Amino acid sequence: MMKKTPVFDYLLCVSCGICVQTCPASALGMQKEGKSGKYRNLFPELVTDGCIGCGQCAGACPMEAIRMEERHEG
Amino acid sequence: MTSFMGKILRVDLSSGTSEEVAVPAEVYEAVLSGKGLEAWYLYNNIPAGADPLGPDNILAFAAGALCGTGAFLTGRWSVACKSPLTGGWGDANCGGLFAPAIKQCGYDAIFISGIAKEPVYLFCDGKKAELRSAAAYWGLDATEAEKALHADLDGVCRKKPCVACIGPAGEKLSQISGICNEGGRIAARSGVGAVMGSKKLKAVVLAGTKPMPCNDPDTVKALSRDLGRKLLKMTLPSGLGVFIGAGGRMMGHLPSMPLDGSLTAYMFREWGTQANTSLAIPSGDGPIKNWGGTPKDVRLMDAVYNPEKINKIEMAKYHCYSCPLGCGGRLNIRGKKYVSFDATHKPEYETLEAFGPLLMNWSLDSIYQLNEMLNRAGMDAISAGNTVAWAIECYEKGILNLRQTDGLSLRWGNTEAILSLVEKMIAREGFGDALADGVKRASEKFGGKEYAMHIGGQEPGMHDARNDPQLGVHFVAEPAPGKHTVGMSLEYGAMSLCDICSWAPPARLHAKSKDLEDSEDMALITKANACYTMLTDGAGGCYYGQMMGVHMWKLVEYLNAAEGWNYDGDHYMEIGERIQTLRQMFNVKQGVDPASFKLPKRMLGEPPLPAGPLKGVTLAQHRAQVSSHWRAFGWDDKTGVPLEETIRRLGIDKLTEVEA
Ligand code: SF4
Ligand code: SF4
Ligand code: SF4
Repeated sequence: MMKKTPVFDYLLCVSCGICVQTCPASALGMQKEGKSGKYRNLFPELVTDGCIGCGQCAGACPMEAIRMEERHEG
Repeated sequence: MTSFMGKILRVDLSSGTSEEVAVPAEVYEAVLSGKGLEAWYLYNNIPAGADPLGPDNILAFAAGALCGTGAFLTGRWSVACKSPLTGGWGDANCGGLFAPAIKQCGYDAIFISGIAKEPVYLFCDGKKAELRSAAAYWGLDATEAEKALHADLDGVCRKKPCVACIGPAGEKLSQISGICNEGGRIAARSGVGAVMGSKKLKAVVLAGTKPMPCNDPDTVKALSRDLGRKLLKMTLPSGLGVFIGAGGRMMGHLPSMPLDGSLTAYMFREWGTQANTSLAIPSGDGPIKNWGGTPKDVRLMDAVYNPEKINKIEMAKYHCYSCPLGCGGRLNIRGKKYVSFDATHKPEYETLEAFGPLLMNWSLDSIYQLNEMLNRAGMDAISAGNTVAWAIECYEKGILNLRQTDGLSLRWGNTEAILSLVEKMIAREGFGDALADGVKRASEKFGGKEYAMHIGGQEPGMHDARNDPQLGVHFVAEPAPGKHTVGMSLEYGAMSLCDICSWAPPARLHAKSKDLEDSEDMALITKANACYTMLTDGAGGCYYGQMMGVHMWKLVEYLNAAEGWNYDGDHYMEIGERIQTLRQMFNVKQGVDPASFKLPKRMLGEPPLPAGPLKGVTLAQHRAQVSSHWRAFGWDDKTGVPLEETIRRLGIDKLTEVEA
């Protein structure tokens, strides 16, 4: 079965957390450690397998940092 | 469509009932949401003379209009009630995740009255609102309680719930206690934690998943994208923090202090508010030795509070919901001297100043510990610091003795004694018990009133009116006196309000007292600043968004897009004016005399400081400036009471007849 899941572009992301709070399935968390330029920061990532592929996170992101991509689910 | 949920939740703890109530659209048009909605509801529904710790007081939690629309820096939640500290309007504000959580349950605000028989917490997931026993959480500190609630509700709710709760300080009715979320971020001021404690309400737990509406999300997102892209490029080279102290010394000598909005963004992105400490110590902005000292008393202390040291132990930045700036951070403090915790939120400037130079304390490590202790206890660092400063000065001057202080040698800079005293205040134990209700009450009990720094019962934020007389006006003319987040000349300079408001004068290059005369122009500046702050609060915006200026954080454009309105800046400033007037009317209704809010003598420069950048400064024009500020608002210039014609002009007479 094909399902869409969010893919993040962390170069565009400003760690605002809007996507995380928008997700109706609570599938996202601000947990990914990384850098925004020189700053140590936390970024959103999928933290459960509950993503239903609705795309609301991508729609809500002001920075256009989320793409929905098809992933093959076993 | 607008951005409002259109409903509030009303909870009565005495009867254990709750109901959803629709709010008429005209109320949102008049005061937005957030602090505006709170002002409207509390003015109408808290009876005159209500006991702040009794069943008639109402504790409000509200999200702002722009929360959840995609607008950046709009994730602040507001708490309001009648304050036990001042007897009048009380409010506090905090970031984190709680603001969108209120809306996702389907409400713009939650209003809680009554007193529960046993400790409870309010649970709401947008389908039901329930009062549940908090027996298992009462007694835990705020961070432990939040963790325990998360653990107990794991898997039960669809969404990880957001928790706002009190710690032991609120449970023990400390009048300087606040309400926490996100591991110790605290809505600290006005004694809001004591009101929650008096209601035996340990926590509000929200787990709704309703969508948050917005009229034109694409335009809102585009405005945010512009700001976000700018911010991504705004990075300072590392290591500049060591020069901030020198900058502060220079500013202390300048006749004026210019600030540009983009500077706010650079500073707060690089360091957060903590960077202001080494700037404030030598410049005259930050109080020293209970507001009676000068930078000479703490020479080179700015190096102790060098922001680079604090940045070095930052594990990651912390952002409130919807904020691209991220002025917060989580620090790794394991193994530091005096420290018993692993991590803490980056201490704010206010905490560093209140437990650093204010007490002549040279140990930065001890402030990490104090910060975490206070955040977990849910105690306001500003009020607590001012109270400890009073105790030290009284001890040094022989007003307090060892027997009264339970054997604590309260000398300036005695780090161990400061730590022990705060521990006692949190536990309300011995000498700490009397101090847990703030400096006014402590000085009423022990004497030393002349060293008790408070305005109308509330301790002032860590900025000196002798350095910025505009701030002095806000300190006393604000319905919740002593708050430093209502207006300042530095901030006014950064905001460029004259570009959105026809009557707001251009900023002047001043921040110092000598050249600040009492004039109509100045009164319009203080009025405009206060109105814009109230508008920001109605929108749920962050003060630092405001400080980036109207050309970076576009509040008017955001509101028009989110609400489908087409109003100009003047219209929105009038909303701010209405909110501020309602809050002032709240005080009048509750029998609080606005003219009784006075700057402590010391802050008026009586007697003047003997040295440093504020040498010889007195605020001779202060009272006249407050009168002019009231007049500019259409309030009686002798009593501060809003005039009938003003109430009518702002439509408040009709608004207060609208019921919910
Ligand atoms: S696609 Fe939907 S369910 Fe999946 S992470 Fe995004 S918002 Fe959540
Ligand atoms: S909404 Fe976009 S910018 Fe904000 S955290 Fe999510 S991906 Fe990053
Ligand atoms: S600037 Fe700081 S306080 Fe304001 S919303 Fe952003 S993270 Fe929160």
